[in-house]
Amino acid sequence: MERARRGDEDAYEELVRAHQGIAFRTAYLLAGNAADAEEAAQDGFVKAYRALGRFRAGSPFRPWLLQIVANEARNRRRSSGRRTALALRAAAEDSSGDAAPSPEGVLLAGEDRERLLAAVNGLREEERLVIACRFFLELSEEETAAALDVRPGTVKSRTSRALDHLRETYA
Amino acid sequence: MPELETALRQLGAEIDFPAAPDLASSIRGRLERPRSWRRPALIALAIVVVAIGAALAVPPARTAILDWLGLRNVSVVRVDHLPSARPLGRLDLGTELTLVEAKRLAPWMLVPEDAPDHAYISDVVPGGRVTLLWGTPSNVRLLLTETTGRAYIEKVVQGDTGVERVRVGQGGAWFRGSHIVMFQDRDGGFHEGRARLAASTLAWQQGDVTLRLEGDISREKALRIARSTR
Repeated sequence: MERARRGDEDAYEELVRAHQGIAFRTAYLLAGNAADAEEAAQDGFVKAYRALGRFRAGSPFRPWLLQIVANEARNRRRSSGRRTALALRAAAEDSSGDAAPSPEGVLLAGEDRERLLAAVNGLREEERLVIACRFFLELSEEETAAALDVRPGTVKSRTSRALDHLRETYA
Repeated sequence: MPELETALRQLGAEIDFPAAPDLASSIRGRLERPRSWRRPALIALAIVVVAIGAALAVPPARTAILDWLGLRNVSVVRVDHLPSARPLGRLDLGTELTLVEAKRLAPWMLVPEDAPDHAYISDVVPGGRVTLLWGTPSNVRLLLTETTGRAYIEKVVQGDTGVERVRVGQGGAWFRGSHIVMFQDRDGGFHEGRARLAASTLAWQQGDVTLRLEGDISREKALRIARSTR
């Protein structure tokens, strides 16, 4: 981080590699498609690099980066005029049927999985995004607040409201 | 109900996110050193000040600030002596892409009939900049630089530089001899865009796109290439 702040491009590339997955997926949630997400994440990383001088040393890099990337993604979605929310899909099930069980051995059964996903997709967009950030991307409250451009307190209350709504439909 | 949260985390692991692209490689050409980049901007700004100062200091008869009708994003400042430009370092053209990829990222770009050997994209100016290169990066025959929208270019020319209006697109100008090209970046700072191939330049406007063709070619050949862009 310090080397990148001093203008070391190789050091910054390492930072990009370490964070490109989460940055791209966050952008994908907000932009709604892969092409815009890729551009938003790229532009976000370039802007973050140029703004490294304003980055407070010692504070965590990820929320700051996600805020910049998410902002790019929202702008793209806004300027494209698309209103429809991204519908998340689960990956196709392993057809071989002999997938290794998860450590806890409690994989969601296919049907439950589809039902839960439908319930999440049925939430209002602001609640769906907070669920996606907190549980699908496993962002912290601070990171979610940065990505969604709201206060951490709002993330807390929105998450609990969204979970209540999910319990109603996915009981 | 923690089961719901556990189920959501499990579901998250199975969400079909598109594979993340290799962003580290794709942004490589777009990084500018945050420290050193202020200096060229300052030098460039100083050149603008010197150039404008020089323009104001000499008698009006010998100085003209030419506003080319139709070339709304290009203005030409004529001075008695060009401020000495920094020696030309390596060409900083941006990220190399295939013509198809470049066209996808910059749908406004124009391509001459004789397709270029290399295409680059940079976001150093507002709206982006596309550069098409004929020859090789170390042995450039021709360079076509395209910008769109707000990108603003200023050309500083010396007394003996020939400037001639030509008919191409919505208007153009032919520069013979040395001159300095300045452009304003997306943050409003001025950069010195050196007359890279020194020889001659054709600048013209086509719709929203401002184009600049540089190389050691005749005026007629330059015009032929310019008129073939689509």
